[in-house]
Amino acid sequence: MTSTAVSPAIRRWRIGLLVAGLALLALGGVVLLNDVNPKRYLGLAAWFLGALIIHDGIISFGVFGVNIAMRKAGRRVPLPVLLILQGAAVVGALMALVVVPEIMKKSIGTGNATLLPLDYAGNLGWFYLALAVVTAAAIAVYLAVAKARRASAGTAQGE
Amino acid sequence: MILDTVQTLLNGLRRSLAQPSRTPRMAVVIGRLLAIAFLLCFGTGIYSHFLQDPLPWMVFTTRPVFLYQLTQGVHITAGILCFPLLLAKLYIVFPQLFQTPSVKSFPHLLERASIALFVSASIVQIVTGLLNTYQWYALFPFPFRQTHYALSFVIIGSLAIHIAVKLDVIAKHWRKRDSVLLDESAPLAEPVEAPQREGAGASTGSANAGAAASDGRRNPLTSSPVKNAVDRVEGVTGRVFVWIDKTPPAEPRTSRRGFLAVVGVMSAAVVALTAGQSFRVLDGSNLFGPRKQGVGPNDLPVNRTAAAAKVEKSATAPEWVLTVSNGSTTTSYSRAELLAMPQHVVELPIACVEGWSQTATWKGVRVGDLVDRVGASGGVTVRATSLEQNSSYAVMRMGPEYVRDDLTLVALELNGETLDLDHGFPARMIAPGRPGVLQTKWLSTLEVL
Repeated sequence: MTSTAVSPAIRRWRIGLLVAGLALLALGGVVLLNDVNPKRYLGLAAWFLGALIIHDGIISFGVFGVNIAMRKAGRRVPLPVLLILQGAAVVGALMALVVVPEIMKKSIGTGNATLLPLDYAGNLGWFYLALAVVTAAAIAVYLAVAKARRASAGTAQGE
Repeated sequence: MILDTVQTLLNGLRRSLAQPSRTPRMAVVIGRLLAIAFLLCFGTGIYSHFLQDPLPWMVFTTRPVFLYQLTQGVHITAGILCFPLLLAKLYIVFPQLFQTPSVKSFPHLLERASIALFVSASIVQIVTGLLNTYQWYALFPFPFRQTHYALSFVIIGSLAIHIAVKLDVIAKHWRKRDSVLLDESAPLAEPVEAPQREGAGASTGSANAGAAASDGRRNPLTSSPVKNAVDRVEGVTGRVFVWIDKTPPAEPRTSRRGFLAVVGVMSAAVVALTAGQSFRVLDGSNLFGPRKQGVGPNDLPVNRTAAAAKVEKSATAPEWVLTVSNGSTTTSYSRAELLAMPQHVVELPIACVEGWSQTATWKGVRVGDLVDRVGASGGVTVRATSLEQNSSYAVMRMGPEYVRDDLTLVALELNGETLDLDHGFPARMIAPGRPGVLQTKWLSTLEVL
């Protein structure tokens, strides 16, 4: 907690939020104890720990590495172009995070034909194709605008 | 020595992780959106919970008829929206993981523990929530509904504590005009002095790494081999940090705008491509929703099939009757007798707890008419029992607000056809504004309580 002086209003809100937060945490604990068999706690704890390890230990460092590698590899590439490429990669990765489990569950089998009825792998392919087209178009637009700006700046300097 | 080594590594990591988009202002901007999404999920989730397990005094509104369709659609859509928002928020604050000293005091330890709980509970909640919509229960070593309910309090409680702890930072960066100057001078990671490295001629793009420019000085050797390696560019550790430090810097304004644009595109994409399962207006762009409107028997998706409920024989038996009772007064109806009664047609959505929903045309007998025939008068509660086996939803209670609603039917037809076996043949319940699990299928008895 920051040690700098805070206004009385913030102090009051802070105390109120802390009390409400602790009460809700306690309620969550009571509900868990009442409604979930203690035999399941170990599995739940494993999920909690796994979530932290997968996010903080793998995904975050992976994103960091990819970011550094792309900036290294793209030394001569304009930053906006790199950002567009990075953005497209992140959008693609997020969609995979949501859709790949869907594809896997569909391949394992579902309780009925109306659950996961679509061709998710095919749709993901179409999505990536569209993402590639939009990314290429965004880069092309940026490069054209940048070129026009340089040309207009050159003309202004020549005048 | 070990502490010194760890501190050097953590400082190096934080400096290397610094990015223009990792500012307190950005944390507040994304944090606000994430908090709204969490609160939407919490509010709609609590509503759904109490619809299923009401407290004795609770009475629910039956209008608008699409209310539960809306609240549960918002629940699932906001839950999916939490994926890009939570990942973005965690990306922004990631350098905080490596703050030094790692623990300053007991309150600081509690604060860090509450954040760890908040982060892991949030990830578990949204991931299991998503997997639940795929009905991939085998992955959970715990019961979904009870755990989801308990964790919702843990998450909102942790959120309140997190806001309380960061309240002064949030207040400072709430408005853009107050925040700009603060952000320019103080990125999210508190300033970390960069070591003076030989050969480190460029910066990471962090606010502080510019100090790493080589000026020819060599830091004196210390008792920490890692600190020496980092400071003097020795070994793998030192070379990795210098390699990172030499990365071309990102221009702050462009980088921040790019970050926000990516979060916006991700959020729009996950909503637009999945929310058609809940909202008809987005049905055309539903590429990834686990349900598709119009797909299923009677042009409607199915949650639990007759086979899964083990009712295939009992529901199709010629001797099936619906028994309606009020104390000692009991009347039984075959399906033909129910069809011979006054029929009513209603347009009502079926809205599943998993978030998918679809409006359909139902035809059948008013529940109010059936209870009148066994002598019930005024507001009464009804207990409906299904033929299905091994289900916690085989018995359902319905309060007077539903029993006496003209739109509440024992449905016999769906979308102009005989009710399909998977939709509850020979007769099922349909009422306005209730979760699908309470629209009891394969009805066996109705008891006035």
